[in-house]
Amino acid sequence: MSKHEIRLRRQKLTGRGSERYRNYGAVLQRHEEEKRIKKILRAFTFFLIILILIVLLVIVTRMEKKVDKKTKPGELSLIINS
Amino acid sequence: MTEEEIRKENEIVERSKRDSRAFTELYEKYFDRIYYYLLRQTDDEETAGDLCSQTFVNVLNHLPRYEFRGLPFSAWLYKIAANEVNKFYRKKKGKKIFSIEEVKVRELVERNNTSGLEGWDEEILQRLLNYLRDLPTEMLHVLQLRFFEDKDFKEIAFILDMTESGAKMRTYRALDKLRRNFNIKVKYNE
Repeated sequence: MSKHEIRLRRQKLTGRGSERYRNYGAVLQRHEEEKRIKKILRAFTFFLIILILIVLLVIVTRMEKKVDKKTKPGELSLIINS
Repeated sequence: MTEEEIRKENEIVERSKRDSRAFTELYEKYFDRIYYYLLRQTDDEETAGDLCSQTFVNVLNHLPRYEFRGLPFSAWLYKIAANEVNKFYRKKKGKKIFSIEEVKVRELVERNNTSGLEGWDEEILQRLLNYLRDLPTEMLHVLQLRFFEDKDFKEIAFILDMTESGAKMRTYRALDKLRRNFNIKVKYNE
């Protein structure tokens, strides 16, 4: 079975059939809209990356603080012993 | 298309990269050709109209990245239109449609009919349609661009993302089959 279908047109494709769809204003408008959406998406992605980096930084700082708290009593006993 | 015309078009394209309104001239020039190319591949006016609009929106979206490669600007338009058609059929999951005008087939055969085929009747037409039906889709696409859209092999290669020799080979094989089945000589580089 073939993957395509052949349809025969008895008349030539000419005339003003395409006029209904010719509208550069609409095309331009859609292009501007898509451009705006792209810009917003880019800004959002940038914002998201920055947010993720900040969250990671906060998590790392908190973990460092926790580790510091845990190691402090050990350090004290070392000072007393000496 | 002359070198001068290609250069002028490229100037408009460069202007359009800075101001989309400058593209109006090329839109008006190529709208019909792209619309009818899409109509020949969908056989539905509304679908062709939608795909045509989407093609030109994509053209404007990607225009800043367009690079002149010595080919007419229309080759790039056809390439984007062909991608839109492929996307449409992938989504639809249906058979690809080729809407062929009887006049065009007749012109093609009569222009090259140097031997064998006599006259033009419904039987020959049906045989030709069966021949086209049996061809692989890629081969038919090359034939369509070559004989119904009047594209040269360099442009066809660019539109279909293949080598120039590959486009020539596909056309040659398709026409060789036509020659054997119908005993007519169709010059593939005409």
